[in-house]
Amino acid sequence: MDTQIWSDLAKFIAIGFCAGFGALGPGIGIGLIGWGAMNALGRNPEARGPIMTNMILAIAFAEAVAIYALVVAILLIFVA
Amino acid sequence: MARKTTCGCALNVLIIGIVVFLALIVVSFIGGNIGATIFGGEPLGFLNVGVPEYHPAAEHPFHGLPITNTMLAAWITILVLFGLFFAGTRKMKLVPTGLQSFLEIVVEAAANFIEDPAGKKHGRWFFPVCTTIFLFVVANAWLSLVPGFETITVNGEPLLRNANTDLNVPAALAVVSFCFVEYWGFKAKGNSYLKTFFNFGPLGQAIKQIFTGRIKTGLSGLVNGVIAIFAGILEILSHFIRMVSFTFRLFGNMTAGMILVMIMLFLIPWVLPSVFYGLEAFFGFVQAMIFGGLTLGFACAAVMSEE
Repeated sequence: MDTQIWSDLAKFIAIGFCAGFGALGPGIGIGLIGWGAMNALGRNPEARGPIMTNMILAIAFAEAVAIYALVVAILLIFVA
Repeated sequence: MARKTTCGCALNVLIIGIVVFLALIVVSFIGGNIGATIFGGEPLGFLNVGVPEYHPAAEHPFHGLPITNTMLAAWITILVLFGLFFAGTRKMKLVPTGLQSFLEIVVEAAANFIEDPAGKKHGRWFFPVCTTIFLFVVANAWLSLVPGFETITVNGEPLLRNANTDLNVPAALAVVSFCFVEYWGFKAKGNSYLKTFFNFGPLGQAIKQIFTGRIKTGLSGLVNGVIAIFAGILEILSHFIRMVSFTFRLFGNMTAGMILVMIMLFLIPWVLPSVFYGLEAFFGFVQAMIFGGLTLGFACAAVMSEE
């Protein structure tokens, strides 16, 4: 019984850390991408279309890293 | 007399609609599983959604048959795409209308997207594979939002499930993309494409220089030669890691979307999951564009000449 509690505790802490720290880096990255896109938009408002497309593409790349962490967290929740 | 309108309907109708939606959210919040946990007791019967369960492996709905539900979904996606294009190109007209017009818009947009970075000649090579991958992934993602997916069960297992939530399908797509990139590299450059991976040229030149007497240039060239070999090894590694990253990007996004909708349905069964459905539709499109676009980007890098 006692070991069950400790292993559950370890599991939940691991899930929290995994999802939390996994979201930290991509969050910063998406912020930087948005910053760059806004700067570009301010300097060159006519290029709105290409900037938006490329911004969404770059955001998806940054977000993919968060998704990797999410996959690990999900696997920990449902499988471990 | 023109009445004042907001969002396409009269203001009072809009307010009533918003109030109704908020009421639905509150009712499902209190009556559903969250309310049951807070206030104790059971959730209301019609709001009682089962606890979300996630199985990483695809289920076999038919006992004894090695057909998984993701396979069925993939076949249906293929059939839908085939039927759509077959019906759209049956009676082709010079001035397109209806379905043909829509398909032409899609294909033309894809062709422009590909020929923009790749150029006319290479764009012709890349177009079939990149567009097929894009269409398959996006059709698959959007079809899996149709009601009935994951809810119709046969023998206690869901009959259909988004094909990309099975790790095998994105892996297969990634392998296809990898193979085609290497094929295009060889097709464009011939055997000199191997130089990208096994670059012994600078090292050999440096050794030759040492033996022919120019020791100083030879020694500095030696370092560059070793670096070139290491760059080749890194290139090999990156080509293989690319496959893993392709696989997990698509798999992770689709799986996370599925689980997100499942959990939102569990927590707040009414109104709010629709928002996430919209989000899923958007992400399906974006991920398809990324898969096709990245294949395109790597293919462009493979066929690009160094000079």
